[in-house]
Amino acid sequence: MNSRQSVVVPRELPAAWDAVTAALVSPMSSAAQSEESLSHAIALLCSQGLGQCVEGWLLETMQVRLTSAVAPEFWAGLEQPENELEERDRARVLLQAFRTLLARLEPFLGSQILGVDEGGGPVRRGDPRAEGEGLSVTRAILLFSPSAVLQDRVLEFYSRTLAVHMSREGRAATGGGEAAPGPDRGLCPGCATPQRCWCQEALEELQELSHILSRLQLLERVSAEAVTSILHRLVAQRMESRCRGEYEISFLSDFQEWLERVLGWLSRVFVSEAGGPCAGAERGIMADGPGSGGVGRGMMEGAGKASPGGGGGGSVLQRWRCHMQQFFCRIYVNMRIEELFSIIRDFPDSTPAIEDLRFCLERTNQRQQLLTSLKSAFETRLLHPGVHTSDIITVYISAIKALRELDPSMVILQVACQPIRKYLRTREDTVRQIVASLTGDAEGCSDLANELSRADPVTLETQDSEDEGSDPEEWTPDPTDALTDKTGSKRRSSDIISLLVSIYGSKEIFIDEYRTVLADRLLHQLNYNTAREIRNVELLKLRFGESHMHYCEVMLKDVADSRRINTNIREEEARLPEEEQPPLALSAMILSSEFWPPLKEEKMELPPVVCQAMEAYTHRYEKLKAMRTLSWKPHLGSVTLDIELGDRTLTNLSVSPIHAAIILHFQDKSSWSLEELSGVLGVPQEVVRRKLALWQQQGVLREDAGGRYSVLETGALRERPERGVLLIDSDEEGDSNTTTQSEQREEKLQLFWAYIQAMLTNLESMTLERIHSMLRMFGATGPVLTEMDVSELQAFLERKVRDHQLIVSAGVYRLPKSNH
Amino acid sequence: MKVKIKQWSGVASWLWVANDENCGICRMSFNGCCPDCKVPGDDCPLVWGQCSHCFHMHCILKWLNSQQVQQQCPMCRQEWKFKE
Repeated sequence: MNSRQSVVVPRELPAAWDAVTAALVSPMSSAAQSEESLSHAIALLCSQGLGQCVEGWLLETMQVRLTSAVAPEFWAGLEQPENELEERDRARVLLQAFRTLLARLEPFLGSQILGVDEGGGPVRRGDPRAEGEGLSVTRAILLFSPSAVLQDRVLEFYSRTLAVHMSREGRAATGGGEAAPGPDRGLCPGCATPQRCWCQEALEELQELSHILSRLQLLERVSAEAVTSILHRLVAQRMESRCRGEYEISFLSDFQEWLERVLGWLSRVFVSEAGGPCAGAERGIMADGPGSGGVGRGMMEGAGKASPGGGGGGSVLQRWRCHMQQFFCRIYVNMRIEELFSIIRDFPDSTPAIEDLRFCLERTNQRQQLLTSLKSAFETRLLHPGVHTSDIITVYISAIKALRELDPSMVILQVACQPIRKYLRTREDTVRQIVASLTGDAEGCSDLANELSRADPVTLETQDSEDEGSDPEEWTPDPTDALTDKTGSKRRSSDIISLLVSIYGSKEIFIDEYRTVLADRLLHQLNYNTAREIRNVELLKLRFGESHMHYCEVMLKDVADSRRINTNIREEEARLPEEEQPPLALSAMILSSEFWPPLKEEKMELPPVVCQAMEAYTHRYEKLKAMRTLSWKPHLGSVTLDIELGDRTLTNLSVSPIHAAIILHFQDKSSWSLEELSGVLGVPQEVVRRKLALWQQQGVLREDAGGRYSVLETGALRERPERGVLLIDSDEEGDSNTTTQSEQREEKLQLFWAYIQAMLTNLESMTLERIHSMLRMFGATGPVLTEMDVSELQAFLERKVRDHQLIVSAGVYRLPKSNH
Repeated sequence: MKVKIKQWSGVASWLWVANDENCGICRMSFNGCCPDCKVPGDDCPLVWGQCSHCFHMHCILKWLNSQQVQQQCPMCRQEWKFKE
């Protein structure tokens, strides 16, 4: 524009052009020229509209110079030293290389060429655009193919300065104060050199390097990668050495403190970008460090407060802080995910680990990873035949407790424990184990018993009902990984007992099982002491509701009644004259058969003396309770007896009735064969043989040649230690008085079979679903009927089909024609 | 050898001496209890009529109370009289 206005070319123009040319072609000599004249010349050129020309030329020249001279010189300077240089010297070389680089570029960037008078030409001193362009050219050319040497050197130098910084901070933190960085005993903790500590030097070099780099706008380029890799490595190392396998301490605040110290170093690295003094920025960060570091929760909030060091530097540091926290969370979660199974196993002790994990997990998107890994850990470490059911249950309980801390929405719990529940369903003894631990019978597993006696229990009845008490404002949506089942979130309970009971989807199974366990206990103890059982039943009533525990209450009442009846009959007997006293002290447990679980039916003939006593007892009972009589279960009960042998006496042996019956027979006749015994007892020979083992073990009987058993009057087997009281040997499979769950089920299915046959006779053909719903209808009235699911029924029907008792076609069942 | 039994604890179940298994009114087992009761035995006794039919006491009383005109045994329609 100016050129058009002034027609006459000023006289000074060629001279100015010459001056600029001279300066550009040989910038080295430009110093010789007066700066003033140069800037004057430029101003003149600019005023003539030649500014752009000059600028373009300048950049071009700079580019040429960079490629031809400066870059090679820089790289050469960096690589020049031999490998045997010490670390300290390597650092110096690195710094030197950058110093030279700055010196070479200074003329281009400095005021000499691009500086203009305050008159305001288009190209002004320090014009960010022009300078930026110049610098981007530099970056492009210099770092177009950076040598690995640079990266290595920078990495090494930064690691060292970090170590120096940390050691100083550490000393400051431990109260040592800012002691002079002298070589104290042996190695300096900072620079790890035996003598001539160069910590201070290193820090100064760091500061200078940072200044140079930031002047050249190379800071991010050169440092970021090195810093990132150093910090990542350090965090990972720290984590490995401190956290792995250690679940009882929280690491969040520890890490936070450490991070603040590292940020102090970062503020040195990025000092110049902060634009303010290094110390200021650092102090700012440290000031806000301990305040927020105390609690882990303050970690992220701390990031919100800008350090007073200055806007630019603050934001760089904030970025790094966020980055580090993110990184920490991620690798912490990674590590804990790997270890989650062990954490769960140690649960109450590993609470700090769970809390840390919860905090970090909220900040990383790794729930899915956690779920997958935990599920597979369960499957490989827990759910295989080598693990005892009670152990699985124990881990499951820990998992419930731990995961409800980790994820209050219970989704992780629900999803991750699905395999456990599924697996437990396939174990035969699951219910029994759970019931045993509920009642505190299982050794080493008091969790459930405690849980049961906890105040304010969750009743299983109200669980399905709408949660009216909760505020709709407090509703939170399910996490995205929740199972989409129709039950919805309100069904996700964290109550351990309800979770365990719901494994089978029905509490009836549990109540039946409890009844069986209770029956076993009562029939084994026979001491009429039911205080503990009454307590358990009361607690269970709170959980399962009155009506379900009704049968158990009747059972306990039977025990109390029996005791009364026994006392009554005793008193009556005591009034009898001496000669009519019964030969045998008999007491009885009198059951209400309808309310007890089915007892094993075994036939056995008792010796006459016992039979008579029982008859007498029955007689008295009939007198006591009109129109009622007793039906004895000869194989149940227990007998306390003494055995007097030729040279010794066994006292207070406590044995089962069949053992007693056997030994009573030997009292009359000292030698029996297996057949004879079997005949007189009405028990199969195999059983008799097994029972005889106890007496052989006691050294009372001996098996002679020819399969006869005889009494050992004089103790040949003296080596057997004599024990005052012996409990009944549970010599075989469980020795339970009640029929097992599967036997009962089989019986029930047989009962159903009668129903099914009747239905099919009347209705010709039915589908599986129809049969199932009909059975449920009938089944609703049965007292001990457990719920049967469709698949179980299907399996049963398929068995019947295989036995040709049923035919199935197109999903419809019918009876074979021949049946009619 | 001499065996001295100090204590024999046996197990028995009690049952009503009746000529039927179930109560003809509520169809529940005699050895159980009527639908209104919780505890069998003394708390829910049986009663016999002169016709020799027997029922849970609560069941037959309820039945008799519901009969306006004449009190009959629900099984045999004879006049109901409690057996002494």
